[in-house]
Amino acid sequence: MIRNMPAIALGFCMVLLAAGISRAAEDDLDGFDFDPDAFEKKSLQWGGYVEGKFEQFSYNEDSALYFLNVRNTERSTLDRTTGTLQLVGSYSIKKSSFNWLLKASASQDQDQYDDWANIYEAYLRLRPTDTVTVEAGKQSYKWGTGYAWNPVGFLNQRKDPNDPDEDMEGFVSLETSWVRSVGSTLESMAASVSILPVWDGVNDDFGRKDNINLAAKLYFLVKNTDIDFLYFTGDSRSSRYGIDFASNLATNFAIHGEFSWIPHADRVVLEQNGELRVEESSSASFLLGMRYLSEQNITTILEYYHNGSGYSEEEMSRYYHLVNEAQGESDPTVATLLLEKAQTVSQNGYGAFQNRKNYGYARITWKEPYDIVYFTPGITGIINLDDNSWTLTPELLYTGFTNWELRLRYSLLNGADNSEYGEKTNTDKIELRIRYFF
Amino acid sequence: MKNTVLYLMIGCLLAALPGQALAVDGNALLRQVDANLQPESYEMYRKLINIEPDGRKKEFVFYTAKKGKDRMVALFLSPASEKGRVSLRIGDNMWLYIPNVGKPIRITSLQSVVGGVFNNSDILRLDFHVEYDVAAVIDQGDTWSLELQAKTRAVAYDRLKMTVDKKTVQPLDIQCFASSGMLIKTLHYSDIKDLGDGVVRPAKLITDSPLHKGYRSVMIFAKIKKREFDDEVFSLEFMPRVDELR
Repeated sequence: MIRNMPAIALGFCMVLLAAGISRAAEDDLDGFDFDPDAFEKKSLQWGGYVEGKFEQFSYNEDSALYFLNVRNTERSTLDRTTGTLQLVGSYSIKKSSFNWLLKASASQDQDQYDDWANIYEAYLRLRPTDTVTVEAGKQSYKWGTGYAWNPVGFLNQRKDPNDPDEDMEGFVSLETSWVRSVGSTLESMAASVSILPVWDGVNDDFGRKDNINLAAKLYFLVKNTDIDFLYFTGDSRSSRYGIDFASNLATNFAIHGEFSWIPHADRVVLEQNGELRVEESSSASFLLGMRYLSEQNITTILEYYHNGSGYSEEEMSRYYHLVNEAQGESDPTVATLLLEKAQTVSQNGYGAFQNRKNYGYARITWKEPYDIVYFTPGITGIINLDDNSWTLTPELLYTGFTNWELRLRYSLLNGADNSEYGEKTNTDKIELRIRYFF
Repeated sequence: MKNTVLYLMIGCLLAALPGQALAVDGNALLRQVDANLQPESYEMYRKLINIEPDGRKKEFVFYTAKKGKDRMVALFLSPASEKGRVSLRIGDNMWLYIPNVGKPIRITSLQSVVGGVFNNSDILRLDFHVEYDVAAVIDQGDTWSLELQAKTRAVAYDRLKMTVDKKTVQPLDIQCFASSGMLIKTLHYSDIKDLGDGVVRPAKLITDSPLHKGYRSVMIFAKIKKREFDDEVFSLEFMPRVDELR
């Protein structure tokens, strides 16, 4: 268990209290005037946030991924402090704009220092009419209606279901979109086409190089239902088809879903004999979800996700067996060879997070309980429905100080041997994140 | 003769009763209230101030565009933590676009984007006559009391009780009830002035709620201007680009 958890929780509360006291002192009650001219649009707009994050991980010293990734350390916990700067902005001239999102981060733990800076987005947007938009440059795609997963997110970067709202690095692409309001049962429709090249140094983490890929999305709003038809083709990844929907059934109840079909999906499989083989098969994935708001202002999001390309328990147990073999090998040369092989297997899909067949997701947040405005406690749970391992993340979020956001989270991972969460690097994690927006 | 006197007396009594005023066309009156509050298609700026029981405040500023009966979009301009967020409403459908999230997500009308007393349907409120029928009009001397009944179950508040000033045909206060009959909140309009473009209406709306005792929200309206927009402005595709309208 986390050693410093009570101290961190106490610190979170003291920060809240201290900031509350200082803010109360500077507030006055006569703030009812409003000068809208102060908010006139400017050509150059920019903002962003600075973030400080403290994390403490408790290692699961018996797990396969611990042995694979951090076996040489002697500590049972790891403390990491991270500072992040995000800059977002745009420069507009009439109906054209140049937009950017830059991110830089530096982190220090007991073992190492790391830093990076990256252009997440930088693209030109032209809007010749209200119905047509052309965007060229690096931009992120967020296809799909699911919160935790997006099987139809053919151009999406893979998101972390524990933090699905975080911004993601985009891909260099050219996109043209067209929208039309109809105003009958079919309220509106939109179409977009994207061209995404994969060359050396350009989108080279997307798939096979030296190809130009094409993706298209057709959107309809029919009465109270959003419907998308999605398509991807190109040689960087195999062609795929998708459909998604979202609909409000009541003022406090919405449902959503996604379905994707990949006729020829490539998948790297570890054979019984220890060899890696690329297997081609068709793959269908889908997601069903709902969002419900209770009278007590409690929002519940539930999702079920079936990953057609996911690994079965048997396939994963071969991978864990390989790591365990390396761990138990007395000959250092053989052990090194086995470990290198395990690393290769890991990099070819077995080490990716949430790469199994069936998952359940639940997120419950209670906005402003007991009249504590801007305070939102919540809990997120993800369960691997095949091996019944799970992770549970309670959190406290406070946004009551203008432009400040404080979040305290604790994550617990649990599962049997050879299960997904039972073989993760850590058993639990506590995280305190403070953001200041400007 | 005896009967004539009796009828006259009954007539006078009925005239004195508050409930007799169905002679007033309630739905026409409600349309007039809507027309006095804002044009059917317009843009405007609003400041929302959430006030806690101890007097602490949090302020939000947003730009709003509306077209026709049921298309509306609101862009948050301040504070920095909310800047760029966009709420869109088309009829009973509502979506929220958060720049970090990068895609519109469906939201429900009873949710609150800003916290405090205001929910999404308060911020993206359509004209009253679009969502409500007038069930009764009661003459109260200087004011009318209008009983409004929601046309469908998709409307956030099942019933409203609106007090309208006869002289200005502007609302003075509105009580919002759930279908259970529970009072959810009360809106108090004040500070009637010219907000530009010939729109003379209350510039201030104070909201309190028995569900949030001691909390108040103040909305200040400014720069209301008649403006026609293309329908496509009110679409999911356009949400990241609403700032281009300003």
